[in-house]
Amino acid sequence: MATVVQNDKSGMQQESEGILSSLLYPKSGSGMPKFPAVATIAILVIGGSFFGVYRWYQQTYSFSVGMDYFEPEFDTYWMNLLYAQLVIIALVGSVGSALVWFSRPDANDVAHMEPLQELSIYNFIFALMAAASFFIVVILAVFVEADAAWHQVTIRDTDFTPTHIGLFYMAIPLGMDAIILGWIWVHTRMPDFQNRVSIPLCLVAMAPILIMPNLGLNEWGHTFFYAEELFAAPIHWGFVTMGWGLFGMAGFILQCLARVRILTSLVGEEGSEKAAA
Amino acid sequence: MSSENSYGNNEDEIQRGPLSNKSAVTTLAQQNEVYKNLDYMLIPIFIIILGGVTVFLVSLTIGDWDYWQDWRDRRWWPLVTPFSLIIGPAVFTYFFWTYFRLPIAGTAITVGYTFGVLISRYMNFHVFAGFPVNFIAPSTFIGMALLLDTVMLVTRSFYFTGLIGAFLFAIVVYPLNWPMMAAFHVPVEYNGTLVTVADLMGYEYIRTAIPEYVRIIEESTLRTFGEAVTPLTAFFAGFVTILNFYLWVWIGSKLTQARWLTKLI
Repeated sequence: MATVVQNDKSGMQQESEGILSSLLYPKSGSGMPKFPAVATIAILVIGGSFFGVYRWYQQTYSFSVGMDYFEPEFDTYWMNLLYAQLVIIALVGSVGSALVWFSRPDANDVAHMEPLQELSIYNFIFALMAAASFFIVVILAVFVEADAAWHQVTIRDTDFTPTHIGLFYMAIPLGMDAIILGWIWVHTRMPDFQNRVSIPLCLVAMAPILIMPNLGLNEWGHTFFYAEELFAAPIHWGFVTMGWGLFGMAGFILQCLARVRILTSLVGEEGSEKAAA
Repeated sequence: MSSENSYGNNEDEIQRGPLSNKSAVTTLAQQNEVYKNLDYMLIPIFIIILGGVTVFLVSLTIGDWDYWQDWRDRRWWPLVTPFSLIIGPAVFTYFFWTYFRLPIAGTAITVGYTFGVLISRYMNFHVFAGFPVNFIAPSTFIGMALLLDTVMLVTRSFYFTGLIGAFLFAIVVYPLNWPMMAAFHVPVEYNGTLVTVADLMGYEYIRTAIPEYVRIIEESTLRTFGEAVTPLTAFFAGFVTILNFYLWVWIGSKLTQARWLTKLI
């Protein structure tokens, strides 16, 4: 009886793994990996909804209860949000990193991964990056310039303005979590990344961390000698390191494409003939 | 500590063990299918990510000179804009040309930038902060990038792309944007003083953190320079943008390498 139940569970598990696999690594009629459209749209909808709701909250409560740091409403609507999101983001980062690290497959199994499976995973990585590109725009354009616009219609009395809470203490740390989890995942699951470290991916992972010293300088400077909020002021220049760090994604894509090139080389008779032609 | 490039790495193989060089495809049709599939994902990655990054970099280095219609002056805006904006196109002109033989970096980046900045300006400066759209509409840079990429396509040389392309990139900022700005430079009299429509809008829409002394750069005797200011700025911008292009092509050659760290000691 117990065996039957176990078999059923294992069958269901296999079925759900099969569904997940077909969502993340779909294949075309010819058996080649194809663009995981459903998974990409799902990521865009979930991520878009999260940022959309956050943005709605910002729009609704910034000017009604976010103008005066010393009002009790500010504490209720903004400081509580700040504390909650900092705890959640720290937990996601630390627990997620531990989970991704300790659930890593055996290095030997990774090294002997089937070429088609490896190609499918690269396909998924690129799809994930394509979806992430929209969130990069949301963080680096919408959330950053919300801060620029906010400063021009308010008088600032705190480091924790509603737009700073959304930008420096939510969007950027969340992006940092995502990049660090991705860094660990890639280095423990992809054969080409095992036992060595991708320098460009390190650069990308470091990008949000590189702005931390300037964040300190900026907040200190605004309390001390620079009351204005000219967005291109020298006190803000140090933030560019985040943008420059993200240029490292080019090197990471090159590393992936170098491996994809091997995984898609033509070795048969047809390939040799075509290559010669 | 040692690092190395992706290609030709015996030491790396000793560290990691040999990887299978088996292919996942057996026919040319399958190979083409995989490559086309990759294009669907790589095109948005490069255009949208780089566009988003450029919105961020433009905010921090050009910032208010591009945010506000009345900040587009004759001296600083046409100088700082190309000087700062060339950074992304320079880095990725190196990347796309060296690894893919594609002269598309400038155009891809400025198209992505336009996509990101239009969303941001509307959402933030109009919907969130309440400024009129025509007061905060972004400048256009796509024409500048087309010139840069065209020179790369024709000359196939970083040297000439810098010398001619980056120079052209810088000198067309003002004429390219003039059709959008002209209506805001119509003179009006305001309390007995001659100002532009853009100036008047600036007085009406108070910006609490950038008082007037931060904005005005054409003061006192600088006003005595007449029509020559704009072309003079354009030429100076051209020369410094050439230098910045070369600098960032070199930095790009380092930043975009596919390097590995293979051992720590």
